[in-house]
Amino acid sequence: MSDAAVHTGSQMKLYGCPTCGRVSQLLRPPAGDAPLLCPRCATPLHHRRPRSLQRTWAYLIAASILYIPANLLPIMSTSNVFEGETLHTILGGIEELRHGGDWMLALIVFIASIAVPLLKIGALLVLAITAQRRSRWKQVERAQLYRMIEAVGHWSMLDVFVVVLLVGTIRFGALGGVMPEPGLLAFGAVVVLTMLAAGSFDPRLIWPEEEDKDRPS
Amino acid sequence: MSEDTLGSTPPPPPTPPEPPVRPPTPVTRKWHGPSLVWLVPIVALAVGVALLIRAVLSTGPQVTIDFHSASGLRPGKTEVRYKEVVVGRVEAVTLSEKRDHVQVTVRLDRSVSNIAVEDTRFWVVRPRIDTAGVSGIETLFSGAYIGVDAGESTKQKRHFTGLENPPFVLRGEPGRGFVLRTEDLGSLDVGSPILYKRNRVGRVVGYNLDPLIDELSVQIFIEAPYDKLVNSQTRFWNASGVEVSLNSSGLKVDTQTLASVISGGISFERPQGTQGLPPASDGSRFKLFSDRKSALAPPDGPPLRVRMVFDQSVRGLDIDAPVDFLGIEIGVIRAIRLDYDGKRKRFPVEVEAEIYPTRLGAVRDSMRQDGDDDKRRDTTLLQRLVQNGLRAQARTGNLLTGQMYVALDFPGKVQKAELDTSTAIPAIPTVPGTLADVQPQIAEIVAKVNKVPFDEIGRNLNETLAQANQAISQLRPEAQASLAEVRRTLQSVQETLQRADRSLLDPSAPIQRNAEQTLQDLQRAAQSLRVLTDYLQRHPESLLRGKPDDAKIPASPERR
Repeated sequence: MSDAAVHTGSQMKLYGCPTCGRVSQLLRPPAGDAPLLCPRCATPLHHRRPRSLQRTWAYLIAASILYIPANLLPIMSTSNVFEGETLHTILGGIEELRHGGDWMLALIVFIASIAVPLLKIGALLVLAITAQRRSRWKQVERAQLYRMIEAVGHWSMLDVFVVVLLVGTIRFGALGGVMPEPGLLAFGAVVVLTMLAAGSFDPRLIWPEEEDKDRPS
Repeated sequence: MSEDTLGSTPPPPPTPPEPPVRPPTPVTRKWHGPSLVWLVPIVALAVGVALLIRAVLSTGPQVTIDFHSASGLRPGKTEVRYKEVVVGRVEAVTLSEKRDHVQVTVRLDRSVSNIAVEDTRFWVVRPRIDTAGVSGIETLFSGAYIGVDAGESTKQKRHFTGLENPPFVLRGEPGRGFVLRTEDLGSLDVGSPILYKRNRVGRVVGYNLDPLIDELSVQIFIEAPYDKLVNSQTRFWNASGVEVSLNSSGLKVDTQTLASVISGGISFERPQGTQGLPPASDGSRFKLFSDRKSALAPPDGPPLRVRMVFDQSVRGLDIDAPVDFLGIEIGVIRAIRLDYDGKRKRFPVEVEAEIYPTRLGAVRDSMRQDGDDDKRRDTTLLQRLVQNGLRAQARTGNLLTGQMYVALDFPGKVQKAELDTSTAIPAIPTVPGTLADVQPQIAEIVAKVNKVPFDEIGRNLNETLAQANQAISQLRPEAQASLAEVRRTLQSVQETLQRADRSLLDPSAPIQRNAEQTLQDLQRAAQSLRVLTDYLQRHPESLLRGKPDDAKIPASPERR
């Protein structure tokens, strides 16, 4: 898509404001490291979000670390008079559903709770690596992937909401109850961290420019 | 594609935009190293590692337990409980290689990792309903669980063989175990209650039969603090079920608690005056008596065997019937044998009894003469009693059932007799029993009654009656004649009466008419008398002056 006639924003020293959409042109270089502010709404203007890739990496690594306890540890414990206390992991719950014959439900839970976070981490990993390497490989598809990640992001919180709702509503004293377990914390952190990673990723890094070379991500 | 549309528009001419309104203000950066955002993965790592470490730390050792059946055991669900605290969970249930038992893999909690030692016992708690009660009722809902009794050994162990039934005494359970010797288990079973004043204080833990000495030993466990009630003199007896005894004292029904009626039980009591004794040590052995009476009877000491020969029937006298001395039971009948007396051509009954001289108490001590050995001294005591007139007598204790007992008594007028010590077992002379006493008297009465000449009396009576009959038949014609005369007289009386009737009561009879006339005259006389008195009342002077002249009739008013 790069053709010589196209003048990029950076070439023209144009800055778009992410908040109010105003496009401003830098007339003279700023003194030192002073941030550029939108003349209309005072939002800091960046040619590229500063340290975007670094943040993405940090959040991504944190999410991947916590993904392990999120799936290994029980996310909730239910107790009732008939069965005593039972611990539930996400995978265990899916297995129970599958065992009970609810194939579809098991599939949905699997996709929402295991596959989506995993794919999100994987996709962000791909985006971060390619951005790091300033790759020009399948840029449009990568942009689509990024939009998808942004859109799907918060849906993985469903599990956390379900457990929190159950904990709040099912309180029958000795008869039964639901308690959150440490796995839930890890799982919620994974979802939040992947959302933060996706949010801090600057999609403009998918289209690296020549002059970006001297700018660290 | 959006790029295409956007790209197709010609780039805007580089019109000089307005300069930024706010001139950039310099801000000095505080941090120049790597971004602070790297703290996030570090914290995440720390949290993740902490969570995993906690999870790893909370899992304790894995042990395998062999059971006969995995009934009720579910991997991941079934809990392992020690004193009702969950200390582990079943991870897997697999068949052994030989397929003769199941291997249950259990993950214990870290906190109880030292529970897996050599003498630890595992068993499956399932709902149990038996005569000792209902146990493990909670497992009806929660499913079975594995119970643990922690061992005290320090040797670690990872493979156990599970018990099929819950152990009855847990380690560390406060209380004491004792052993009771008995000849008959009755309805006792493992779990039967031990009762003290009908209060459950322990349970039967087990029993085993020793075939060599043919005796049962029952292991019991008495919970603290009741175990202190057991001292060396404590008596245990079998309180199983309802005790119905029918003997010469009558019908006796003795029951303990309802639970022990159904499931059997053991009661114990401390005899009077032994409360102060120190508690018996763990594992002490006691005798288990068959009932409370025998348990609480003072110690009998060695029995003295005696014989009694009765000439009468001993129907109603049973083995174990009491031997009674002036109302005090001092022994029991042990054997009843039929003998043959060649000289008298009779079949005397020989009754053998055991008497406990110690039951005589002070009598024995005061009357006994010195001697070298207890048995001989007791024999001489008996000898003296017999010389003083002691006799054995079979008596009916219960008229309703005909049960008999043997009474040792001093019946008064008896022939002189001696204790027969010719055989190994001394024989006490006997006197006929009460019933046997009455029998000859009744026989005598019957004989006397028999002597009455009922035949003759009957004959005489018959003759008398015949004569009376004859006399009556002779009298008959005269009686008939007199009867006819009586009838005639009666007829003439009747006629007379009829005549009287006619002359007096007929309306046409002269008496009737005369009477009527007289009455009419009388009526008229009464009338004139009334007229007279009226006149006199109005004119009383007429009595003196006579009747005045009639009043002049006044002139007629027309003439005036």
